[in-house]
Amino acid sequence: MDSTPAARRGTGTVVVTGTAVLSAYGRGTEALLTGILSGLPAFAPVQRFDVTARRVGVAATMPGSPELRTEMTRAVREACDDACLSPSDRARTPLFLAIHGDPAIARAPEADKPGLGPQAFTTAVAGGCGLAEQGIRCYMSACVAASTAIADAAAMIARGHADRVVVAGGYLVDCDQFALFDAGRVLADDGQVRPFSAGRRGLLLGDGAGAVVIESRESARARRAPPLARIAGWGRTGDAYHPCQPHPEGHGMARAVTAALQRAGIAAEDLGYINAHGSGTGQSDPAETSALRLALGDAAGTVPVSSTKSLHGQTLEASGVLELIVTLLAARKGMLPINAGFLGADDRCCLNLVLAEALAATPEFAMSLNAAFGGANTALVIGLP
Amino acid sequence: MTPLAPVASSGLAALHAAAAAAGLMVSSSASWPETGADGEVTALAGFVESNFSPLLAEVAGRALRRRDQSQASGQVTAVVMVTALGDVTSATRVAAAVDSGKRVFPLMFFQSVPNAVAGYLAARWHLTGPVVCVSGTSAGLDVAALLIDDADADEALVVRVDLAVTGGDGDRAAAILVTGPANRERLSTA
Repeated sequence: MDSTPAARRGTGTVVVTGTAVLSAYGRGTEALLTGILSGLPAFAPVQRFDVTARRVGVAATMPGSPELRTEMTRAVREACDDACLSPSDRARTPLFLAIHGDPAIARAPEADKPGLGPQAFTTAVAGGCGLAEQGIRCYMSACVAASTAIADAAAMIARGHADRVVVAGGYLVDCDQFALFDAGRVLADDGQVRPFSAGRRGLLLGDGAGAVVIESRESARARRAPPLARIAGWGRTGDAYHPCQPHPEGHGMARAVTAALQRAGIAAEDLGYINAHGSGTGQSDPAETSALRLALGDAAGTVPVSSTKSLHGQTLEASGVLELIVTLLAARKGMLPINAGFLGADDRCCLNLVLAEALAATPEFAMSLNAAFGGANTALVIGLP
Repeated sequence: MTPLAPVASSGLAALHAAAAAAGLMVSSSASWPETGADGEVTALAGFVESNFSPLLAEVAGRALRRRDQSQASGQVTAVVMVTALGDVTSATRVAAAVDSGKRVFPLMFFQSVPNAVAGYLAARWHLTGPVVCVSGTSAGLDVAALLIDDADADEALVVRVDLAVTGGDGDRAAAILVTGPANRERLSTA
C-alpha cells in the first residue's frame, strides 16, 4: 500500500443539523428508514421508460417520472426546514450539489446546450431555496460526487472557511444511464443486488435525492439547533490503478478509511457500523473487503457491515448523501440494516455482515464508504452526539 | 513552434489566476490548442466518439511531462477536473442511440463519467490522490487548495476541458500542476 502523510484537519467540530431524502421507498426519512429496516429490497420492473431492448429491466424507482430539479429543490428546502434555518441563515449558506448534469442537455438543441451546464442547474436550485448566490459548487465525480462534497464541506467548516454548507445529491433513474449500464453488462440479471455474497451478479440502479445541512458546532449552538450527528472524519483517495476497476487489494480505499479514522481521532475498534460501498459486482466487493482488512486489521472481522445498495439500489451521484443519511438514521434508531440478497459466503468477502434481520445496536461511530470509476474512494465517519 | 493561440492562453490564464487566488504555486502547465500543430487530438485507447477524454489526457500529459521530474517521486497528486458542460458529445450520442432504438456501444458506458479518464491518468502517472470533478475553475482550485491543506494530496493536477457545442470555437483544454507554498519549499530544499 502506498504510504500517505498523516491526514490533517481543522480544529472545528462539524455537525449535521438537517436532512431530507427521497428514495424508492418514498419521500422523507421515515419512509427511507422504515423501508431499509423492513429488509425488503425496493427493486421492481421499470415502468418509467421502455426497457424491452435491455438485458435487464429492473431498478428501484419511485412511481412516475419525478423531475430532478424539482426534487432537488424540494430536498434542499426540506433539509433547511429540518435544520430550522431562517431566510437570512439560508441567504448566507452555499449549496454544494452532486449530479451527473442537467438531464435536459443531451436532447437540447445545440444553441441551448451552453445554458444547460451543471453550474446553471445548481444556481437554479440554490436560488429556488433562497440559498447564497456565492460559493455554489457542482460536483460531477460519479458515485463519490456527494461524499466528496460532504468531505469538502466538513473540511472547510473544520478550518473555519465556512460556517455552514448545504450538500445535496441526486440521481433519478433515466433511460440513458440505464442503457449505458445495461450495455456495460453490470446490471444484475437476477433482479437482486447481493453485496459480498456468493452468486452476486451485479448492481441495480435506484432513485435517490438527499440533502444535509452541515455546520460548525458554534453555528448550530447559536441557533439552538440540536445536532443530529457529527461529521467526525473523512478521507478521499485515488487508486492509481485503472479507469474503471478498483485496485484489487483495495489500496486506495484502505487509505481513505485510515484518513477518516485519523481525522475522527478514533481506533478501528471504535467503529460500530459500516455502510459499505458494496456494489454487488464481482471485482469491487473483494477489493473493498481487502481494503477494510488492510485499514482495520482484526476489527474488520467484527464490526457489523452491510451495503444498503442491496435495498435502495445504486443511486450514482446521490449515493454519498443518501447512504450517509441511511447510516445516520440507522445509528440514531439503534437498528442496523441488513445486507440483503445474501445467498452464501464468498471466501474473498469475509466480513461480519448483518444478515437475516436488522441488528439492534447503538454505535457511537459509524462509517459510510463510497467508490467510483477512476479509482476514487471516500470514507465518512459520523459520530453520534 | 508557432505562437500560443489566444483562445488557449485565455483558459490557461484563468487557471493561473484562480491558482494565485487560492494561494497555490504552479509547477507546470499546458493547453490545447497550444501551437498551430494542434489540429486533431491524439486518440486514446478505450475512449471513443468524443474528444473530451483524449483532450483531457493530452493536456494533462503535457503538464506532467513538463514538471521537474526530480520532484515527482513520492508526491501524492490529486486529479481535479473542471468542466462547464461535461462530455456533452458523449451524452448527446447516447441519447440519440436510445431515442432511435440503436444499440449503445459498451465502451460508451466506461466513458460516461469524467472519472474514467482521470483513472487512466492516475494509473499512467501514478497519481494516488483524490479524484474530483467540479463545474467551475475557482471551485476546482479551491478544492485543490483544500486537499493540499488537509494533506490528502501534496499537489494537484487541475485540468479544464470545454468541448465546442455550437460549431463556433474549437475544443479547448488547459492543465496546471499546483502545490502549496510549504511543499514547494520542502521540495526546493530536499
